[in-house]
Amino acid sequence: MIVIQILLILAVLLGLLLFLRHHGKSKTAASVKVGFALFLIFAVIAVLDPNLLTDVAHFVGVGRGTDLVLYAFIVAFGFATINTYLRFKELEFRYAKLVRAVAIQNRQLPEDGEQEPEPEQRS
Amino acid sequence: MSERADVWMVIPVFNESQVIAEVVREARRTFPNIICVDDGSRDNSASEIHEAGAHLVRHPVNLGQGAALQTGIEYARAQPGAEYFVTFDADGQHQVEDVLRMLHRLRTEDIDIVVGTRFGKSADTSHIPWLKRFVLRTVVLLSPRTRRLGLSDAHNGLRAFNRKVAWDINIRLNGMGHASELVHLMDVHHWRVAEEPVTILYTAYSMSKGQSLLNGVNIVWDSVLKTGPRR
Repeated sequence: MIVIQILLILAVLLGLLLFLRHHGKSKTAASVKVGFALFLIFAVIAVLDPNLLTDVAHFVGVGRGTDLVLYAFIVAFGFATINTYLRFKELEFRYAKLVRAVAIQNRQLPEDGEQEPEPEQRS
Repeated sequence: MSERADVWMVIPVFNESQVIAEVVREARRTFPNIICVDDGSRDNSASEIHEAGAHLVRHPVNLGQGAALQTGIEYARAQPGAEYFVTFDADGQHQVEDVLRMLHRLRTEDIDIVVGTRFGKSADTSHIPWLKRFVLRTVVLLSPRTRRLGLSDAHNGLRAFNRKVAWDINIRLNGMGHASELVHLMDVHHWRVAEEPVTILYTAYSMSKGQSLLNGVNIVWDSVLKTGPRR
């Protein structure tokens, strides 16, 4: 076994370990979990038998197995980026609602305000 | 003064301590109810606002003008007796007389929202910097929605609207994309829209504070992606 294979398999095991440790806490969907497990298995096979990957690459018309992995990586990275972007947007929206609630709670009325009835809040 | 007690003026403020007190005092001569939203300013805008006699709410962190407007509108629409709402810029580029004309139209005509325009039919636009004029015109041309609603200047901060609009409104884009978002809302909620020619004072101060044209890229980006959460 060459050094890179050992390193890569160790990395996969580390990924699995992290995944299992956060397993209970994360609310990730079941499909994501299954997908991740498949990915780990695929990674180990690809590391142990790179020729298999090359065969797959040839089958879909790509020259080398590494190229296939690179292409897949780029697509996956694109998806991950969009996913993160959407999450940030959602988070930003919630954050704005929180800031708004705090701001309105801490309102400062003008000093000369003669009639200052409690504003009715409807959310 | 009491005749305008049903009007609430919403002013989003971000680092405007130099001018905000003057703007508020000037507006308060005509409008008793002013709510300023301090969008996490780092200068003493907040104390200036308070001394000038406006209602004040403060975002603990900076969110952007769209978010500040939404906060101000939510505050104003919850006030008893609030019937009409005006959004007004903090840098002193809008005129109280224009607001009065817009409110008069809201009260007398069958419309829900009046939007200020720099490009009225007989308007003299020579005081607007040509690059700004060009970009604003282009934005309108590129937006089929804006044209369908018959708007000539979608990015004008001066607007007046009634209760219906105030309760419908829900700005999700925190930043400067809110103007396009409002046009979108006008369309979705079928508000009856009208335009009123207004004068914008381009002072050295407001020019230095105004949004850079590059920001237009951000606006287009936000509007095209429309990635707000569905709710």
